Amino acid sequence: MIDTATPKESANRAHLRQDLLADLQRFSSRFVIYMLAVTMVTAVGFPLYWMVVTSFKLPQELYATPTFLPVEWTLDNYRDLFIQTSFATYFLNSLIVACGATGLSLVIGGVGAYSLSRFRFFGIATFSRITLLCYMLPGVLIVVPLYIYVVRFGMADTLSALVITNTAFTLPLTLWYMRSYFNAIPVSLEESAMVDGCTRLQALRKVTIPLALPGLVATGMFSFNHAWNEFLFALVFTSSERNKVLSLGLATWIGQDNIYSWGMLLASSVLVTIPVMVFYLLVQRKIVTGLAEGATKG
Amino acid sequence: MSESPAALRGDRSIAYLALLPSAVLLMLLVAVPTFTVIMISMQDVGIGELSGRFVGLDNYVWVLTHPSFYQALVNTLIWVFGCVSLDMFIGLGIALLLNQSFTLRGIARAVALAPYLIPTIVAVLVWRYMFHDIVGVLNYLLMKIGVIEHSLLWLNSPGTAMLSVILVGTWKFFPFVVLALLGILQSIPQEQYESARIDGASAIQQFRLITLPYLMPIFLLTAMLRTIWTFHKFDIIYLLTGGGPLNATTTLPIFVYQKAFIDFETGRATATAIVISLILAAMLGVYFVLIRRAEKRQ
Repeated sequence: MIDTATPKESANRAHLRQDLLADLQRFSSRFVIYMLAVTMVTAVGFPLYWMVVTSFKLPQELYATPTFLPVEWTLDNYRDLFIQTSFATYFLNSLIVACGATGLSLVIGGVGAYSLSRFRFFGIATFSRITLLCYMLPGVLIVVPLYIYVVRFGMADTLSALVITNTAFTLPLTLWYMRSYFNAIPVSLEESAMVDGCTRLQALRKVTIPLALPGLVATGMFSFNHAWNEFLFALVFTSSERNKVLSLGLATWIGQDNIYSWGMLLASSVLVTIPVMVFYLLVQRKIVTGLAEGATKG
Repeated sequence: MSESPAALRGDRSIAYLALLPSAVLLMLLVAVPTFTVIMISMQDVGIGELSGRFVGLDNYVWVLTHPSFYQALVNTLIWVFGCVSLDMFIGLGIALLLNQSFTLRGIARAVALAPYLIPTIVAVLVWRYMFHDIVGVLNYLLMKIGVIEHSLLWLNSPGTAMLSVILVGTWKFFPFVVLALLGILQSIPQEQYESARIDGASAIQQFRLITLPYLMPIFLLTAMLRTIWTFHKFDIIYLLTGGGPLNATTTLPIFVYQKAFIDFETGRATATAIVISLILAAMLGVYFVLIRRAEKRQ
């Protein structure tokens, strides 16, 4: 057969084929990306999905063949949690400990971090390194002596013991993060405020603190999360039902599924997750960038 | 760093005063307890005692010659190696995926970060429920697709306990790697990829020649950080298995806890804690070297 196409036409056709090929390639790579994304979301998200769904299932359904949605939706598990258990007490205790430790380290550490950021003095580099070391310290190293001191000072089985000991980790974290936030605020702003007649405190209140507010919020969030999560100190320092925080309280329910149904355990899981998620949504951007930078930049 | 600006130079006393509360608190909560631990580790004391019979290095000799310490050490190494390598591998993959632009990426990203944000106790409860031999969804699904023939006792048999714990640990902590790496990936100038594409570089070549060099320092840093944190992780293993069955998941921090608060052998417990801290200190040294190298390259 003789190809009747002019050279121009065949060149066009080749071009067309190339475009088609490129489209196909683009389409298939899109397809692969979506497949991977769907797989990732399914695999990572499933436990969370399962937690939420199960918390709305009736007790008898929990022992039947698993279904991906409740046959009958119910709030019984949530209701039972507040009627039959000390969940509300645990929740309140956790709030007290987490807010206490966060507040304490934000005030003390915030002031300290400002000093670390604005002044040069002897031993400052060492002090910074030491705070980082504190944060890296294994909890099991200091839990034994802290236990001895807690008992000695008559603070065994109290929430204040947990507030104070939790700052052993939240304070270094605050010092470390807030120092870098303060470092990012130009000193010249404060100086010009002071040239304009502000005292140092006024300059701090009117210029520096408003600018550092996002940092304070993000740092507070980390501290809160740390204290909200903390388990070892709670396990060692507290024992009575009245003073249990969530992590310890819920841990004692494990393996007692004759008393506490899985429905209740997972309903409590949902409720424990809510404060953390609310915080996260409030300060989303700040956390994501802050977390990565704080983690990798010494 | 430069000298302090003129306006800030005078207030040296304020600088020290501002740092004082932080310093005192860290002294009481970290320095003193650390000193106490060293003292206790050279004595034969019961729980809650500050001083007992001085035994020199006997506790250390016991620790370093006792098989149960080495069993715990081996368990720790398996746990750390399993978690960190999976964390890094999956974290890198998902960071690369989330670096692509696609519809609903925001949701995929939120799902990928969620496990890191939820409290440990919640992760533990959900996974214990999924691992359950009778009502667990994991056995159900795996039997349905024919991977296993009968229910596995995930957390309760020595053969699968460590694997299960590593699975949960990876699920909980890989998002940290995603966060750290995604930040770097998004900071790579897009022009570099464009010019590479014009030069005819394939996707794999682009990854090897552009992405990898940017990623490598932070990748190593993150791996080191995860190694340190995974090494002294206590709560997630303790809450999942308590170190069992038959000590199959007793890592060093759990070993210390058991020695101190169950066997009441405080001296040996603290000696072990110090051995752990020395290992961690060595790793921290490597971490600081990596930071310095990463800073130099930037």
